[in-house]
Amino acid sequence: MKQEGLKFFTDTHLTALGLLIFFLFFIGVLLWVYRKSSSTLYTKMEQMPLKDGE
Amino acid sequence: MKTTGNLIEKIYYDDDIVKKFILATLIWAGAAFLFGLLAALQLAYWPLNANMEWITFGRLRPLHTNAAIFAFAGNAIFAGIYHSSQRLLKARMFSDLLSKMHFWGWQLIILSAAITLPLGYSQSKEYAELEWPIDIAITVVWVIFALNFFMTIRKRREKHMYVAIWFYIATIITVAVLHIINSIEIPVSLFKSYPVYAGIQDAMVQWWYGHNAVAFFLTTPFLGLMYYYVPKAANRPVYSYRLSIVHFWALVFIYIWAGPHHLLYTSLPEWAQTLGMIFSIMLWAPSWGGMINGLLTLKGSWHLLRTEPLIKFFVAALTFYGMSTFEGPLLSIKSVSALGHYTDWIIGHVHSGALGWNGFLTFGMIYYLVPRLWKTELYSKKLLENHFWIGLTGVLLYYISMVVAGITQGLMWRAVDADGSLTYPDFIETVVRIVPLYWVRAVGGFLFLTGFLMMCYNVFKTIQKAPKTVEAKEVLVERTGFDEVTKETHRKLEGMGMVFSVLAFLAIAVGSVIEIYPTLSLHKYVSPNNIVDPYTPLELAGRDIYIKEGCYVCHSQQIRPIASEVLRYGNASTVEESMYDRPFQWGSKRTGPDLARLGKKYPNLWHYSHMMDPRAVTPKSIMPNYPWLAEKDTDFLVLRKKLSVMSELGVPYEQDVIANADIHAQKQAQEIAADLESNGAPKGLAKKEIIALIAYLQSLGQKGKVQ
Repeated sequence: MKQEGLKFFTDTHLTALGLLIFFLFFIGVLLWVYRKSSSTLYTKMEQMPLKDGE
Repeated sequence: MKTTGNLIEKIYYDDDIVKKFILATLIWAGAAFLFGLLAALQLAYWPLNANMEWITFGRLRPLHTNAAIFAFAGNAIFAGIYHSSQRLLKARMFSDLLSKMHFWGWQLIILSAAITLPLGYSQSKEYAELEWPIDIAITVVWVIFALNFFMTIRKRREKHMYVAIWFYIATIITVAVLHIINSIEIPVSLFKSYPVYAGIQDAMVQWWYGHNAVAFFLTTPFLGLMYYYVPKAANRPVYSYRLSIVHFWALVFIYIWAGPHHLLYTSLPEWAQTLGMIFSIMLWAPSWGGMINGLLTLKGSWHLLRTEPLIKFFVAALTFYGMSTFEGPLLSIKSVSALGHYTDWIIGHVHSGALGWNGFLTFGMIYYLVPRLWKTELYSKKLLENHFWIGLTGVLLYYISMVVAGITQGLMWRAVDADGSLTYPDFIETVVRIVPLYWVRAVGGFLFLTGFLMMCYNVFKTIQKAPKTVEAKEVLVERTGFDEVTKETHRKLEGMGMVFSVLAFLAIAVGSVIEIYPTLSLHKYVSPNNIVDPYTPLELAGRDIYIKEGCYVCHSQQIRPIASEVLRYGNASTVEESMYDRPFQWGSKRTGPDLARLGKKYPNLWHYSHMMDPRAVTPKSIMPNYPWLAEKDTDFLVLRKKLSVMSELGVPYEQDVIANADIHAQKQAQEIAADLESNGAPKGLAKKEIIALIAYLQSLGQKGKVQ
């Protein structure tokens, strides 16, 4: 019976939509993170725990 | 926000609250480890419950897990968050009063858990056992914590939020969502409630919660702590800040989907099981990305392991994180789950994470913080070294013995002879075989506890030699990052706490909605021909006793469609069979056999004898005796209220049955008591809890029209 679950799961576009959201989001994050111009910022950011005066 | 220029301000961090949380961590850790050791010993030698219902395994195990997760890990997280956030945000916590309310509120919640769980007040939903008044208290205290934290972010002097802060934000938001959604319940009395979800809905929501309690209570906050304390201890920046960003988003986005891997081969719809499995496998990537990022932070600093031995704890913690996040996805593969699920392999897996990752990271953090907060040196590095090696040996003994026990038992359960019959048809044969490994596990736990006690002594001596009065040290801070003129989107995002939090919420909402929403339409999965009858009033009373005694801790009620399982227990469980089950009782461990089709398998007297002394009917059984069930009276009167709540929730009880629930129950109780009596059991049992429990056990698997 439980295999028949998909028969009732008529919102198939949700599956495709989910995949699309995920994939685009992931690509977006990668592009965003690995922008060349961001190096200076990350060099600064990674120092934050070390520069709290303690 | 407007810039205020480079004005240098003198501020004081609130380290008092950090000290409080550290001491609370140590106290509750002691309790959690001790409960764990006692539970382990009881499995090796059942009389160690000392015939006391309050510390019998079914009630002790929830006490242990709640103490370990919410008391030990919880206080450790709060200590680290309060310490690191103030420094990363260059601001004192928003309100000392809220900090104190958070601290004392949380300790009160733990205390109330420590009282109610041994008394048997439990919802039986794993890691969410606490009853509704405590659920409300948890919500209130969590909101206090969130308010304090987000207001600190608002008044911060450093515009850019370091990656650790992101992990804290994701934790606070997600835990709130998980707790509230999983705790929607209707009270019956002050300490009894029924969840609004039933059967597969309840299972889905519970394991969406349960797995994400691991993800967002035992993983994301600890990763935040790792991203702060590992660089601090090694005095080097994190290996790759870019990787930490990918790690964060991938992890929070994927983790929330993984819950259904706890329900593989159950009657949960197949598509949800497959989603859970696939997303669990995807978790390999971000988890290992994080682990590698943490370990490589120490690249070029490995010599510090000699001079700063506390770093050993961080290295071991990250290694255990890597191991358990490798094993988790592995166990989520359906064919591996078929072997490993319900066995001690899972217990081993969980403890490599809890003891190795959460425990060792916390210990490392405490060794780092205590000398700094109390302005002194650590009392003994030698003791720290010894703690590390003894603790590590303990974790390894624990883990290895449980994996071996789990795989051994899993293989014995499925072993089939050439003629197609079970090689080990008696469940007890598979239990007796692994009892020696239960002793090894207890030794492992004992070593872990010993190491921990050495740490307590070390911390105690460190505090003792610390200067008695230390004036709070002022810190000079200036507002940074607010006056940067930039068009870069990432800078904007990291600078906007609110927008960031909303995005993190959306990341966890997508998976939650897609998985839970379709499951809530239960009617789509229920076949009208297979609808079951609801429990009789007495059976319902018995079911609540089953829940109270924590039977679900050792017995599942879910037969998987696997050949050896059907041979052993009967036809696979169906969606309909648990459609009125509030809460569901599918269980997650089979220390004893599955009970889904137990009804009518044995006579009433068998059950009576079994509950009084399991060894009377099953020689060598490791189940404790339950003599108090024959002494305590069933509360018949409350059944009217219970049935009416069930009826409100859609269970088809007739008005007459609800109005006279107690009379119906007493009548059925008389019949069972008379049967017992005629077969030689003592007289006068009709009012006792044992009768209600027998009624329930005899109804298991008997309610459906199609078996």
